Amino acid sequence: MAQTQIQAQSAIRHVEIAAKQRPASKFRWHHILVYALLIIFTFTSLGPFIFSFFSTFKTMQHILDFPPSLFPTAWTIDNYVEILGDPSFSHWLLNSAIFAVGVTVLNVFLSAMAGYALSRMRFRGREIIFVTTLAVMMIPMPVTIIPKYLIINNLHLINTYWALILPMMVQPFSVFLMVQFMKSLPKELEEAAWIDGASRWRTFIQIILPLVQPALTAVAIISFQGAWNEFIWSLLVLDSRDMWTLPVGLFQFKNAHYTQYNLLITSSMFNAIPVLILFFVFQRYFIEGSTAAAVKG
Amino acid sequence: MASQPASPSVGSAPPLEAKGRRRQQRGLRNDAGSRPGETLAAYLFLAPYLFVLGVFIIFASLYGIGLSFFRVDIGFTTPQFVGLHYYSLLFQQLSDVSNSDFWTSMINIVKFTVVVVSGQTILALILAVLLQNTPFLRGLFRTIFYLPAVTSSVAVSLIFLWLYAPQGAINYLLSVAHIHGPQWLEDPTFALPAIMLLNIWTTAATYSVFFLAALQDIPQELIEAAEVDGAGSFRAFWYITIPLLRPAIFLIVALGTISSFQMFDQAKFMTNGGPLNSTLTPLLEIYNKALVDNQFGYAAAMSVILFIIIFIVTIIQRRIIDPGKQ
Repeated sequence: MAQTQIQAQSAIRHVEIAAKQRPASKFRWHHILVYALLIIFTFTSLGPFIFSFFSTFKTMQHILDFPPSLFPTAWTIDNYVEILGDPSFSHWLLNSAIFAVGVTVLNVFLSAMAGYALSRMRFRGREIIFVTTLAVMMIPMPVTIIPKYLIINNLHLINTYWALILPMMVQPFSVFLMVQFMKSLPKELEEAAWIDGASRWRTFIQIILPLVQPALTAVAIISFQGAWNEFIWSLLVLDSRDMWTLPVGLFQFKNAHYTQYNLLITSSMFNAIPVLILFFVFQRYFIEGSTAAAVKG
Repeated sequence: MASQPASPSVGSAPPLEAKGRRRQQRGLRNDAGSRPGETLAAYLFLAPYLFVLGVFIIFASLYGIGLSFFRVDIGFTTPQFVGLHYYSLLFQQLSDVSNSDFWTSMINIVKFTVVVVSGQTILALILAVLLQNTPFLRGLFRTIFYLPAVTSSVAVSLIFLWLYAPQGAINYLLSVAHIHGPQWLEDPTFALPAIMLLNIWTTAATYSVFFLAALQDIPQELIEAAEVDGAGSFRAFWYITIPLLRPAIFLIVALGTISSFQMFDQAKFMTNGGPLNSTLTPLLEIYNKALVDNQFGYAAAMSVILFIIIFIVTIIQRRIIDPGKQ
């Protein structure tokens, strides 16, 4: 949870940086040193991914070659065939997809609703709900995880999708983001709609939501990533093999094949690649979308 | 589903909105003067959020504190009030720390946090300064550095299990430098440092984005003025840039500390607390106490102590790093 929050905060910073990037300075001699260091860091950041990706096409015999080679001596897709041949594996992928998509859809929509009320409506209790939202973001996850487990257990939801989705279906940090985005929109937009006789609900759906699309995208990405990568909570509340999400399944898979590194790194690709694709696709959208929002505001 | 009840009643809201609007135009910021219809509509919009906030966050936190005064197991006996029993049990163990799993895990996590937070903060600052001085391809480098941060801890753990293998790539790189690499994850001396390195690697880029933003907020004239006065760029960086970055440094250190104290995924996945408890973390111990030993009250007491420690550490960090404004 904390991890996702931090990433979200920095994702938002991304946007601000893009908006006020300085014009590129002239080339100076010290740039050679800068680029040399950047290339070293590129090697350390990217290296493990590239090396492990190519190694998923190696056989068990060659996975720990010493000295190692980047490319397989003989390419094979047996690792993928073996993993996808395990019927549990497709179950886990499906469970992870249901969990991640469920949380994403609900959190985007429900946090936008809450953010709308907190930023654009006046009512008794608004201040206290907003301050509480800020305060609860500081509560570390270990404090609530045991009681949350007992609550879910008392509701007889252990080992269901609801156990995964319910506590994450609207997250305080997403609500906070929505409030920050929505409070800057001009009031006239809504007023024009009310004069035309639109209800609060229609104003929210038709006027506000399209205007905060960058925020919706940001929250969607954070929620999906958070749920897709979630491990400890799923490990707690899921106890039958057919209900496991991919990270829990991978944990058991790892225990069963702990020396078959070719299978372990291949299985990790299924967990890593969806989020990486999302990151590459939406990083651009992120920056462009929010630059547009910054220009409008 | 949870949004359905909202639509019918909000549908009848427009006449009330018109009056509410007039009040808004008067520029009121006091909530007390709102229309009942507006309040009802607002709470319908908020209903799903208030449910989650109320049940899974606020009630759960209070429940967790209450739980620590009870003996609770699932399926055997009814909860039994034990008062401060678990707390006194835990504090008694302080006299023999090496035989206490909880305090062993606490010592591990303090070592872990000190190394990881210093490592990630310094590396993040270096990355940010490098990126700020990059005239070309800045976006590309930022994307590349960000990759470890967006990859799931589970996938990264699997990959590093392999890289840290005795015959793995990391020991190969060391052998090139004529160093005989250890059996990283099987050796009690090296297992925790291995996970520290991994964590610094995955988190530094996230925090460098904070530094980059803070660096860009520093007026360039200040630095230039110092350089005109004869300060070298390094002295200007040390005496002007670093002090101006204090709020950002505090934020990064505090966020890093809070998340380091909660480390679980890598320890569970790569070593499961071993060898010889050398990578046991408080959260792993809480998990074991609850799910393995079925002692939920005991686990809750550990959570409360962990929370208090995190809280105190964050306040001390604030005092030291950024005492300026309270």
